[in-house]
Amino acid sequence: MQVDDALLKRLEKLSFLTIDDEKREEIIAQLSGIVEFVDNLSELNTENVDENFALSDSGTPTREDKSVCDSAINDDILKNAPRSEEHFFIVPKIIE
Amino acid sequence: MFEVVIGLEVHTQLNTETKLFCSCPTSFNDRPNVNTCPTCLALPGALPVLNKSVLEKSIMLGTAIGATVNRTSFFDRKSYFYPDSPSAYQITQLYTPVVEHGTLDIDFEDGSSKTIRINRAHIEADAGKNIHEGAISKVDLNRAGTPLLEIVSEPDMRSAEEAVLYVKKLHSIVRYLDISNANMQEGSFRVDVNVSIRPKGDEKLYTRVEIKNINSFRFIHKAIEIEVERQIEAWEDGVYDEEIRQETRLFDQVKQETRSMRGKEEAADYRYFPEPDLLKALISDEMFTTFSDIPELPDQKKARLVSEYGMREYDAAVITSDLETAHFFEAMLREGINAKNAITWLTVELQGRLKGGMTVTTSPVDAKTLGTLVKRIEDKTISGKAAKEVLDYLMENENDVDAAIEKLGLKQMNDTGALETIIDAIIAANDDKVEQYKGGKEKLFGFFVGQTMKESKGTANPQTVNEMLKTKLG
Repeated sequence: MQVDDALLKRLEKLSFLTIDDEKREEIIAQLSGIVEFVDNLSELNTENVDENFALSDSGTPTREDKSVCDSAINDDILKNAPRSEEHFFIVPKIIE
Repeated sequence: MFEVVIGLEVHTQLNTETKLFCSCPTSFNDRPNVNTCPTCLALPGALPVLNKSVLEKSIMLGTAIGATVNRTSFFDRKSYFYPDSPSAYQITQLYTPVVEHGTLDIDFEDGSSKTIRINRAHIEADAGKNIHEGAISKVDLNRAGTPLLEIVSEPDMRSAEEAVLYVKKLHSIVRYLDISNANMQEGSFRVDVNVSIRPKGDEKLYTRVEIKNINSFRFIHKAIEIEVERQIEAWEDGVYDEEIRQETRLFDQVKQETRSMRGKEEAADYRYFPEPDLLKALISDEMFTTFSDIPELPDQKKARLVSEYGMREYDAAVITSDLETAHFFEAMLREGINAKNAITWLTVELQGRLKGGMTVTTSPVDAKTLGTLVKRIEDKTISGKAAKEVLDYLMENENDVDAAIEKLGLKQMNDTGALETIIDAIIAANDDKVEQYKGGKEKLFGFFVGQTMKESKGTANPQTVNEMLKTKLG
């Protein structure tokens, strides 16, 4: 996969991030490196491997439908949020 | 001539006690963010653990719509970046959902029916809620991670009426199974409509438009009508290709229009991939056997009422259309009353008195009370007319039926001795009329009935009065 400026623009849009002009080339190089590294996996022949193959045959563990709630935890988390009011997380406005 | 093609996606919030992947309680209208934990707030290192009950309820739905319940299903990660999802992705089932290939029959008024295919039902996590206020947005993540079953139909519906019938039927099934509260206003049963048009006879599917934000059966109908009109107009004006895009539109119930929510250039790119934090979801034979044994469904209940009580199809459909009404009706029958009387008193008398958003569930007169009232008509304690007065009284005053009858003095006079005294007195006081009656003026019979009812203050059993008068007047 070719990582170029057009793809970077698309990624910026999807991730709500803005990359500074002087950083763009560096980021493109890094992303290309990551994608190339993952490309190594293509060397494996997966022709006869089931698409749902997993290392473990067992299913995902399940739990009983019984509630446990420690509000001290979410109080703490809210205190550590960059901004919170009336027990809401506050973020910059997200619609025009 | 155009044909309308409609497919529906229904997000059903499951009524589990806890969320899909953590033990936080599911809730509505609680203080913001009280039902959150490191897992549903997506703090690093917190891992999802699947709620067993979600698989169980999926089996129930799959069974009810005659679908394949996949003993092995998989979770996938759908990436999107928005503050209602702190993880920046939603866990869902794209490739192998828990339920596939079902059907649902919709019934038309003329007695015909049509089978709508259901493509799939998959498990996914709900998002939180945002409240937009000026320069900020407030984020409440109580709902984040609530389990949803998204039920996706094939594009088999051809009119707004069919779409509404489908949604009503699905709603009723979900309620009968009791797997969701399915409250449209509260958002626990959310309907997205996919609409396109095509020239009649054309097999091709044209551009489909998705409409969101529809929160009542009535609005589903309205939103489809409005959108179809927009598409047909564009076609006839020769601007179909420019104006009708594959996009998501919001239904505005105030302005009665649909409008674009996000354009094509902003089309989401969800970058789905298999969810690495979860293994496959397995359904054991034991779990399948237990939960595929489901309660009676609306259609079965309807058929049973028809065959067991000789009810008219239409009455049975009215009674079974929602679970609460059906339960109310059956509870009334437990008072040992006639089914036909039960239908009339439930659907005409009680429901006619339920005002201001009251339902059978919130009715001041419960099923046992109404059943007892009907029983009192059947055992001739009161007349049907008096029973209406008693019901009026019970709607306003808390009381039991017999006490209310006593208080209102409406007890029917079945004591023939007392009635005889009244009748004798009336005959004695109206010599002239008795003579005229005997002379052939039969209309006067009504006069005697009226006088007797008046003297008994309306409590005499009209049938007994008729019989006694006939004997006395010869």
